[in-house]
Amino acid sequence: MLNKFLILIIFLPVMAWAQMDFCNQDLENYPVLAGGREKPLYVLAIDTIRFMTGETKVGDLPATVAFCKLSLKAFGMPLELPVMIRVDHVDVKKLLGMNEKDHAMPVNDIFARAGDIETKIAELKENNSFKKELTKVSQRMGTYQAITEGRAWTVPLKTSKGVEFVALTEFLSRERVESAQGKGMNPVQYLFNQGKADYLAAKGDGYLLELKYFKLNLFQWAILVSLLAILLLGGMKNKIPGSVFVVLTVVMQITAMTMRVMISGRAPITNMYETVMFSGFGALILSCIITFVRKETVFVLAGLGYNILCLMMMKFAHGMLDEGISPLVPVLRDNFWLSTHVTTVILSYAALALSWILANSLLIRKRFFTVTNEEYRYQSDLIYTAIKVGTVMLAAGVILGGVWADYSWGRFWGWDPKETWSLIVLLVYTAILHGRYSSWIPPKRFVPLVAGAFMSVMMAWFGVNYILASGLHSYGFSEGGAIFLGSFFLIQILLLLTGVIGNKQAPEQST
Amino acid sequence: MALMESIKETYRKVELFFGNVKFAVVIILIFATFLAYGTFMESYHGTEYANRLIYKSIPFMIVQFMMFLSIVFAALIRLPPKKHLYGFYTIHSGLITLFLGSFITYEAGVDGSLTLVPNLPNREIQLNEDELKIGFPARKKDATLELPFSAGEVNLDMDYENIHIREFFPFAADELSWTPVKIEGQGATSARYRLFNKNFGEFITLSLHPKADFNNTTTLGLLNVHYMPKGLQKCFASTNPEGLIVWNGEDNGCMAPGSDDIKKFKGVAGRERIELIYDGQKIAFLPEMSPLPLDDSMELNEKSPFRIFSKKLFEKSPHLFVFGEGAAWFDKNTGKWESREIKKNEELDLPWMGFKLKLLDFRADAYPTMTPKLVKPVQEQGQTTYGNMKAVRVEIDGESFWVRSTEPVAFNKNDERITFQIAKKVKTLKYELVLDQFKMDTDPGTQTPASFESFVTLFKGTEGSEKHHIFMNNPLKHQDFTFYQASYFPTEQGPNGSILSVNYDPGRFWKYLGSLMLVLGSMWHYYLRRKHMKKPGVS
Repeated sequence: MLNKFLILIIFLPVMAWAQMDFCNQDLENYPVLAGGREKPLYVLAIDTIRFMTGETKVGDLPATVAFCKLSLKAFGMPLELPVMIRVDHVDVKKLLGMNEKDHAMPVNDIFARAGDIETKIAELKENNSFKKELTKVSQRMGTYQAITEGRAWTVPLKTSKGVEFVALTEFLSRERVESAQGKGMNPVQYLFNQGKADYLAAKGDGYLLELKYFKLNLFQWAILVSLLAILLLGGMKNKIPGSVFVVLTVVMQITAMTMRVMISGRAPITNMYETVMFSGFGALILSCIITFVRKETVFVLAGLGYNILCLMMMKFAHGMLDEGISPLVPVLRDNFWLSTHVTTVILSYAALALSWILANSLLIRKRFFTVTNEEYRYQSDLIYTAIKVGTVMLAAGVILGGVWADYSWGRFWGWDPKETWSLIVLLVYTAILHGRYSSWIPPKRFVPLVAGAFMSVMMAWFGVNYILASGLHSYGFSEGGAIFLGSFFLIQILLLLTGVIGNKQAPEQST
Repeated sequence: MALMESIKETYRKVELFFGNVKFAVVIILIFATFLAYGTFMESYHGTEYANRLIYKSIPFMIVQFMMFLSIVFAALIRLPPKKHLYGFYTIHSGLITLFLGSFITYEAGVDGSLTLVPNLPNREIQLNEDELKIGFPARKKDATLELPFSAGEVNLDMDYENIHIREFFPFAADELSWTPVKIEGQGATSARYRLFNKNFGEFITLSLHPKADFNNTTTLGLLNVHYMPKGLQKCFASTNPEGLIVWNGEDNGCMAPGSDDIKKFKGVAGRERIELIYDGQKIAFLPEMSPLPLDDSMELNEKSPFRIFSKKLFEKSPHLFVFGEGAAWFDKNTGKWESREIKKNEELDLPWMGFKLKLLDFRADAYPTMTPKLVKPVQEQGQTTYGNMKAVRVEIDGESFWVRSTEPVAFNKNDERITFQIAKKVKTLKYELVLDQFKMDTDPGTQTPASFESFVTLFKGTEGSEKHHIFMNNPLKHQDFTFYQASYFPTEQGPNGSILSVNYDPGRFWKYLGSLMLVLGSMWHYYLRRKHMKKPGVS
């Protein structure tokens, strides 16, 4: 503390200037070490500010500037930013005396209730969604403390061992700032420039690829291009303009994924964000292949539609999908198995997603428009094709997972919820295929069953992470995977009811 | 002939029933329902609970057997072979092979763990099954009872040498219960409190009863809490400058002697000796040396009920004295001893970091014990945090007690010592492993593990030894067993120990073969079916 005041006294005029000029957006490309990776400050600032507040800005300040200013509080800078700590769970809101409609609480108010939060966490025996959200709120408060105590920001410093990263408070020590005085500029600015120059000389500017990746926002642009592709393919007889936009979407997504692979050094399928990303892309590629084989444009339209849904989730569902790139847990650090097993499973989900889109669209068309029996049977045959591809790939993916588990842990099968739910999905689709094979499930039942069966995929994919992991009382979340999944199930059931009730033009014969 | 026809007819009915696609669909859905339920149980209560309740239960085995029958008869019913069903036959043969491989693993496989403490050889694999071991050390005799693999309570009701083995709880937690006792004087009371502030809260149970499972003192961080008979509270409340308290253990009375009540003398080796009168009885102490009084020959008298101590010893650091419905402490701010009364569910403000004391229960008619209760375990982040104890109730000569998996128990029966222990079943290897070093790397700038590595030496008896490096995705294979890096633990000596999961799977080849047949057969099936459907006249 004394040290902090000494720095403040020595550099009070300079620090005042620093507050005005030092914390600017030029810092975005400053190298930092956080979460086990070297990255630009922009990425760290966005991640931490979003984790704390659910927003990418604090008031009008961009994340990088806000992060910098908050960090200067470690040196006694008397500044107050309107930081709001995110609170999502209804019971946590009640505990903190918040209005249920509010999603955040001013930082000073929430710190005044820190004791209540810690006591409640200690009291709760069951690790339910309430306790998990309390822990998360506590972590958000911890993040705020880490920033304002200068611990969250690590700065490169040249030492005898090479360039190392040290906490901001250690970097701006009294001795170091004194020694930088008289170097012809603001000594703090001088030290920061020196740190960055030392880092670039030792390690180069490869870390800036991550800044480009986030700034380019290629996935966001891909939404627009995919939409244009749908409009052109659906609205024009000439399929070439639409196909050009399909290719453009694919190229944009491949570019973005390649950048992500170069940044992380691994296949882009290691967390929920990446599986959604890869699933949308995979569905588009699969649909292009099936379109080429079956000469049927409807597949690529379904693939584009599903790709847009995935891209929208990546863009908007931050409470559920974490965009950040983190190091992997040790057991996943095997690119061969990661690339084969996870890719196969996600591609199978992509194929099943095509069947889901086609089945729902057929249900709606049949309910509100006219679909001939012949067309219905033809469309149901297209759905059958997607299911066959998806089921075979899923069987292969589940087995590859078993082989990986056997290779890594000595168990082909361990009844882990994720692997078990993958098997449940396989069983559900196998049951449908058996039923259709025996004519027990005619097209009239086949299409709604396929539409409904995708709920098992969603449970395996999202439910295991967001419902099983949240506990039985995950209803309390106002944002996050449980609500998303609950909404999905509700909408799907409503679609099924709408499609099935009042449906009078059901073909009787199976193909 | 008629018999043969009858057998054929019966077989045909069986074949039609089990080989029916509708039966297949129904059994697949029942199987899927079991699995879905199992995943919820696994997530909330842990892998072991789900295994015991669902995945290794008899009903689930029956469903799997029905699946097996369905797969077998679905293939048999479609014989003799038809070309367009070659893929179908391959899928079903693959599934049968997969089932058989899994059955071989279940029956003959070994799945356990090997715990390696640095530089100590080990060859004992701990398996998943639990055993109750009963030892008679004097007779050098042991008995082992394999405990059932159940999720709920099992009444074992077994007898062995007049030892009656009663209930078995596969998942238990010790819970506080009060054992009734005759009220004798005011000494053997017990109490339960909650000590809390805004950031911390702890339940504390303290007792003076000799049979209680709780002590009369506990430590919470820097704070020491002492439970004392109610009779002593008045002496803590008194303001005697000498700060001495004399405690009579017989009636739990006390005296806080003032300066006029004490006579001071120069004692042995310059230590001060004091004399005082307690209820007309003259007692002498060397308070700097011992709380025990001196007898007539100036020796420490261990049989005396009197003890002396100085309150000044408890003024430097936080000490809280509780007396059931009362509490006393030294407040540094006022420089005085404070004494308060407290009723059930009342709260007292304490002078340390905003702490409060709440009296939850005060009993003179019962003492607190911890008794195993059957519970559903709770899982947090892959670890069982509650209910991970196993317990067996044993009766000997009408006396009942619990054997817990957390610690062995000894019982004296007719002067013979009998030991009880719940432990994991063990398999002994023909060779041993020694952990030379366990290494854990972390991601830069974090404490997050990036890799776990065990450097081990494998001692093969007369065949010499070998060095091996085991890490994630790089197991050690030796003879029929494979050793995988699973976990680690800190040791008292300093360096970490390592836990390897050990596996022997004789069904592996068949499972791999079945899997390959299943996937290739599926592709072949759809190819042949597409070709078949294109033939004229086929729909």
